[in-house]
Amino acid sequence: MLQPHFRTRRIIALAITAIAILIVWIFAWIETSRLGHASYVTGWTTLSTLFLLILLGVRRRVPMLRLGSASTWTQVHLYSGLFATAVYAMHVPSLIAGGTFECGLSIVFLLVSASGFYGVYASRTLPRRLTAVDGQHRFDRVRWHRNQIAETAASLLEGDNDNATSRVLGIFYTKYLMPFFQTRPSLAYVMVPTGARRRRLLGGLQELNRYLESDGRQVAGRFAALVRRRDDLDYQFSLQLRLRLWLVIHSTFSIVLVLWAIIHAVLAIRFTI
Amino acid sequence: MDPSMNDADVAWLRSREPFAAMDPKSFPRTMPLEGILLNDCRLHRCQQGEIIVREGDYGNSAYLVLAGSVRVMVDSLPAEDLGRTEPEKLTWPESLRRFLFRSSIPEARDPHQITSNVEGSATSIRQLDDRSAIFLQDFDAILSRNESVSLGPGELFGEVAAMYRSPRTATVIAENEATLLEIRWQGLRVLRRDRGFADTLEQHYRQHWLPVHLREIPLLRHVPEVNLDKVAEATEMRSFGRMEWNADYKKTKQLPAAEQIQAEPLVVEEGSYPTDLLVVRSGFARMSRRYGAGHQTAAYLGKGHIFGLDEIAFNALRPEEAPSQSLRHSLRAVGFLDLLAIPVETFAQEVLPHVRRSELPDSVRKLMVEFTEKRKERRRGARREKTRDSDAGEKLSDAGTQFESKSLLEFIVQNRMNNGREAMVIDLHRCTRCDDCVKACASVHDGNPRFVRQGPQHERLQFVQACMHCSDPVCMIGCPTGSIARNIDTGVVSIHEPICVGCGTCAASCPYQNIRMAEVFDREGRPYCDASTGKPISKATKCDLCQTSPNGPACAAACPHDALVRIDLTESHPLNHWLERRS
Repeated sequence: MLQPHFRTRRIIALAITAIAILIVWIFAWIETSRLGHASYVTGWTTLSTLFLLILLGVRRRVPMLRLGSASTWTQVHLYSGLFATAVYAMHVPSLIAGGTFECGLSIVFLLVSASGFYGVYASRTLPRRLTAVDGQHRFDRVRWHRNQIAETAASLLEGDNDNATSRVLGIFYTKYLMPFFQTRPSLAYVMVPTGARRRRLLGGLQELNRYLESDGRQVAGRFAALVRRRDDLDYQFSLQLRLRLWLVIHSTFSIVLVLWAIIHAVLAIRFTI
Repeated sequence: MDPSMNDADVAWLRSREPFAAMDPKSFPRTMPLEGILLNDCRLHRCQQGEIIVREGDYGNSAYLVLAGSVRVMVDSLPAEDLGRTEPEKLTWPESLRRFLFRSSIPEARDPHQITSNVEGSATSIRQLDDRSAIFLQDFDAILSRNESVSLGPGELFGEVAAMYRSPRTATVIAENEATLLEIRWQGLRVLRRDRGFADTLEQHYRQHWLPVHLREIPLLRHVPEVNLDKVAEATEMRSFGRMEWNADYKKTKQLPAAEQIQAEPLVVEEGSYPTDLLVVRSGFARMSRRYGAGHQTAAYLGKGHIFGLDEIAFNALRPEEAPSQSLRHSLRAVGFLDLLAIPVETFAQEVLPHVRRSELPDSVRKLMVEFTEKRKERRRGARREKTRDSDAGEKLSDAGTQFESKSLLEFIVQNRMNNGREAMVIDLHRCTRCDDCVKACASVHDGNPRFVRQGPQHERLQFVQACMHCSDPVCMIGCPTGSIARNIDTGVVSIHEPICVGCGTCAASCPYQNIRMAEVFDREGRPYCDASTGKPISKATKCDLCQTSPNGPACAAACPHDALVRIDLTESHPLNHWLERRS
């Protein structure tokens, strides 16, 4: 069966979402015109959509059942999320409601929505950045690769510590390269990976060239290659960690949101009827 | 082939037919008849009920009955009779139960999954000489229930599968204690230097199999029986390259593309005039064109693809004043290649008039329309002068499988990915590296993932190391018990674990390293051990395309970002369409 182009699929999905939002808005408007509680319409719609949204997690956890493909569920999840945000905007008088309980609920809702939108952005942009870096390292194997690089670096200077060249490289290795190879990247690098470390170390190795003979320059070149490999690995690690972390944050707060929203609904029914 | 073969065996074989009648002068000095018998043959002692070859399996050897007799089963035996279990789709509750109660022990198995040597089983595995052999438990009952033909001393079987890399067409079972001579394809090919032997083989092939193979070609579907007989009479069989291409693959894939192309056996060269329509019967070919100092791959051909049709059709339909067209591409064997060559004259006379226009490639169809219109115009006396395009060839499209990106095409051929019928391809621009595909695979296979998300990469595409259920399943060749088999209906290659003896032949043969040998444990985590040797039992494991899952391949269904697909790379359309969707 021929499947539509992603662009076509996006246009169709956006159109359906817009129509759904319009329908809810019309219902809410009719309810308001009849001097009813429009917030019932929007509130129940939002709560139902939240239930629909968390079903994606259920689908991911039971892959053996014939529940349709995860990508279809993800599409439904994305546009339902957009729909829920729009209906939420109709439901609340202000984006962050007053009162501790309602304010907390608003903040959690906005947090989940924002993390969802960030997730869409991240899942569309970070894979490209990961692909652009040499080597496709699996997240669970990063530590192993790190150790391999550190061991290779350590072995480059083994058994040749007598000449002046080795001493120069040895000092540089002990002072700068060893901490780089044998420790995990800093939190700052993991949060915002930059090329500063790499440039600094490669620049340092370049500077050393004037004090080295041809053999020593070759070793320095191998160190430079290892620095690049390690930096690429750390880059992969930080981006893959980001892709995993946002999902943890999004799904954890989603569960909190659903529970909080249920309590909110119970309280709203209890005290308004 | 068999170190235990000695000069006495060779002398004994030379005294028996068909070797006794062979002329030693037919063979070159470097490959004498005795040398072939010594190096390319093996003596097999079979006992009653032993399954020698199974229908649907692939093999590199033919068998000559020397003593005793064997039964060729005319009826297809049910898979269960051969020790195989047909995969059944699990129900939802059963899938859920297996998922919820999956074992915490890796590669855990129940006793019935370890061996077929249990009461009530249709087959048993026994050690015979130095090899494991599979036997039918109730041979007599199976013989009485199914139609079969007996073959006796001097008769050869399995030569078509061995020579033309096609599945075995029947199951053969030892009727009594029999001695067979296994001749591998290399030996068989050299033995054909003897005119008498070659004639016998060719006559048999032409009489029984060539008409079948010709009918399989879509282009010849509507050709009348009489014409088809003439085509069969004129058709030649040609083979190129090495059938055991998987042994060379690791070395050749490292070569630069230009050197790899140069190393491939040339079938026909660009610029020569087409004398035959070439139809790929099995194997793969590369169509290339001179480009700068090297060759650029234009397409690859697989089973059923045709080479030279555009040029032949043009030459057949061209006006008399127009010059004939030479081949615009070279054709080379990638690995091994079996071709059927239909002479141009035969094709033009016997085939072309019966081919429906809708079944011709677009380029040829346009040509036919163009020339038919021209003829009509001439008949009406219209004197409209129309200059023919100086390079009509540019209008023609290439046959075979081609991709817009030439580098992708080169990559696919260089890495032999064109063998994959269900290759796992990941779009790295959409893959978030979440490993949901691996987790889903593990969920369906009792906690044991059947692939690792790694493999060769070309630009944004990663070709993952998961079984591709190849078009040419080299892993199936040499399995002593027929444990690894292809499902005729679905094309899925799967391992029937109870009859897997853990020899590792399939894992060693897979050129893509997509089969893994795994030691198996019971549900308490104790390793299963062979009672006679005391060694732990291993089983071959690989992707089975989730045959038993009600949801199809779990990996593709689990990808939340449409990044992963199981795709047929033997044809270009699926991958082209998949790439277009995300362009």
